[in-house]
Amino acid sequence: MLMFLIRRTLVLMVTLLVVSVLAFLIPYAGEGDPARKILRARVNDPALTQDQVNALTHELGLDRALHLQYFDWLKQTLTGDFGLSYTSRSPVGDLVLPALSVSITLALSALLLALVFAVPLGIVAATRRGSKLDNAVTFVSQSAVSAPEYWIGPVLVLVFARYLGWLPSGGWNGIAYIVMPATALALRPLGYFTQVTRAAMSEVLAAPYITAARSRGLSFPKTLLRHGMRNSMLPVMTLFSFWFAGLMGGSVVIEVIFNIPGMGRLLYTSVVNNDIPVIQGGMMWILTLAVVVNTVTDLLYGVLNPAIRVTHA
Amino acid sequence: MPSLTAPPATTREPWRRVGPPPHRPNIFASMVRGIGGRHWTFKVGTVLLTVIVLVLVLTPWIAPHDPATQDLTNRLAGPSAEHWFGTDHLGRDVLSRLMWGGRFSVTIAAITLTICAVAGTILGALAARRGGWIDELVMRTVDVLVCFPDVVVALFLIALFGTGYGTLIAALTITGWTPFARLMRGLALEINAKEYIEAAEILGSPKWFILFRHVIPNALRPVAAMSFLRFGHKLITVGALSYLGLGVQPPDSDWGKMLLDAQPYMERAPWVGILAGAAIFVTALSVTMIGQGLDLSKPRGPRPQETPTAGTADNESTASTTIEQGTAP
Repeated sequence: MLMFLIRRTLVLMVTLLVVSVLAFLIPYAGEGDPARKILRARVNDPALTQDQVNALTHELGLDRALHLQYFDWLKQTLTGDFGLSYTSRSPVGDLVLPALSVSITLALSALLLALVFAVPLGIVAATRRGSKLDNAVTFVSQSAVSAPEYWIGPVLVLVFARYLGWLPSGGWNGIAYIVMPATALALRPLGYFTQVTRAAMSEVLAAPYITAARSRGLSFPKTLLRHGMRNSMLPVMTLFSFWFAGLMGGSVVIEVIFNIPGMGRLLYTSVVNNDIPVIQGGMMWILTLAVVVNTVTDLLYGVLNPAIRVTHA
Repeated sequence: MPSLTAPPATTREPWRRVGPPPHRPNIFASMVRGIGGRHWTFKVGTVLLTVIVLVLVLTPWIAPHDPATQDLTNRLAGPSAEHWFGTDHLGRDVLSRLMWGGRFSVTIAAITLTICAVAGTILGALAARRGGWIDELVMRTVDVLVCFPDVVVALFLIALFGTGYGTLIAALTITGWTPFARLMRGLALEINAKEYIEAAEILGSPKWFILFRHVIPNALRPVAAMSFLRFGHKLITVGALSYLGLGVQPPDSDWGKMLLDAQPYMERAPWVGILAGAAIFVTALSVTMIGQGLDLSKPRGPRPQETPTAGTADNESTASTTIEQGTAP
């Protein structure tokens, strides 16, 4: 377990290093003077003359070797300071953190919604393998997996906001605003969760301890709950955290469609507007968090699953 | 006259004489055979995909209209005999645009998928065969990349290199090879323990020969299943980027771009957007069905149907179980 921790921490550091080098290089890519781009993030003065730029460039050390500049930049970013957004002129941290909380709320609602439908579907399919019901569940899950959220989203808006007028078509202002984006976002994970639940549950149901429990007179529903659920939910939990890590920044299209001030939309608008400090800060936050969440999941998996713990010991 | 016949190479390289491994599956043959008796999702998916691919291939000959010809007097017209799927906001024929756009979406998805499958398979097999630091390097890279969301990586690359097909394909490849590597590594570890590998080693086969002749061919079926399963995912991601205006660049158009263009007219002419999305959905569904069908029908020997009795407790690596370990959105 300790080896595992050390290893994963190392991996995390290397990832951070690579991502940070790439993020650092963004001002140097594309057209325009890198020094000017960097200054724009550091100095709150829109109209700098060339003389001022030259003076500040020297003062801030932007005329030094690239690797020296990188270490300076890294030192600064590690304290959470990515500079000022080009467009809103507020510090990047003040933009990222609220956006992150919005995205996390959205991701959790979507994934919980998916889980609520997927687990029963998967269990029903697993207990009646090969039946018509099983085939129906398979088809539903395959359809869900194949449904692009940027198709479902606009259709939901059309029906529930435009035609019926039940729900707001966009924005972020309370429970009613979460329903449609969460539903659109929930479909694909719902499909995957169902498939995984079905596969894990079928495997568990074939295990000898299920037969043993049944032969001791335990009713089938009770066996399912006490022995089946406990042993089949681990892979579902892994997938859940996987999607959670991804949706923290990855629900770009849905956030754009529904005009939700989350991480995905922040990243998207910053790329479109070439708002370099926000891109750098956003990418570092999101990619680091994704790796951290997955490392923690792998760790938890080892803790929760005795079989793995033994083999690793 | 000196003899022109070279000495048979096999006398010096006996391992070249080794025939195909015992269970080596012929993917294409078994797929064609499979249409008769495999899992039902496989059959439905195959029929769907065949139709879609045929239509896309034949588009230049069968498209009813030119996809770019505008008819501003006939904007946003509903379905009619002349325009089966109606017209869009510039009076262009939706059916023809769907057919031409599909060629873009599907081609880009297919290119990225091929790169991912080849790279992932070779790296995964190499990791399993060589072990040691290569294994460690490849698998730890997979651990990291597998949790990066596709769209975010694409945004990152676009910030660095600007939009373009190169960036698009690179973005989808960087994260896309990881499930193949995981799957192939698991399969290769199983294959490593087989007698025919030992036999090949005793005969003195070089490492590359064992890898490409024995290990990879014996893992082709799950890899094929995985390819189909991932194809739908790629198609959806390509569409998402085009929908955001970061994928296909004008004047080209694909299904995602059509959906984006149709957005402002969703209320007046919902069919344009709905059909473009439906095209992505149906194509993704067809490949998903094929992939799962391949995965659910067992690889070993001729086996006409899956036994519907409870539970298969086999621990073989399959595409689905690898996807369980992680499919980033």
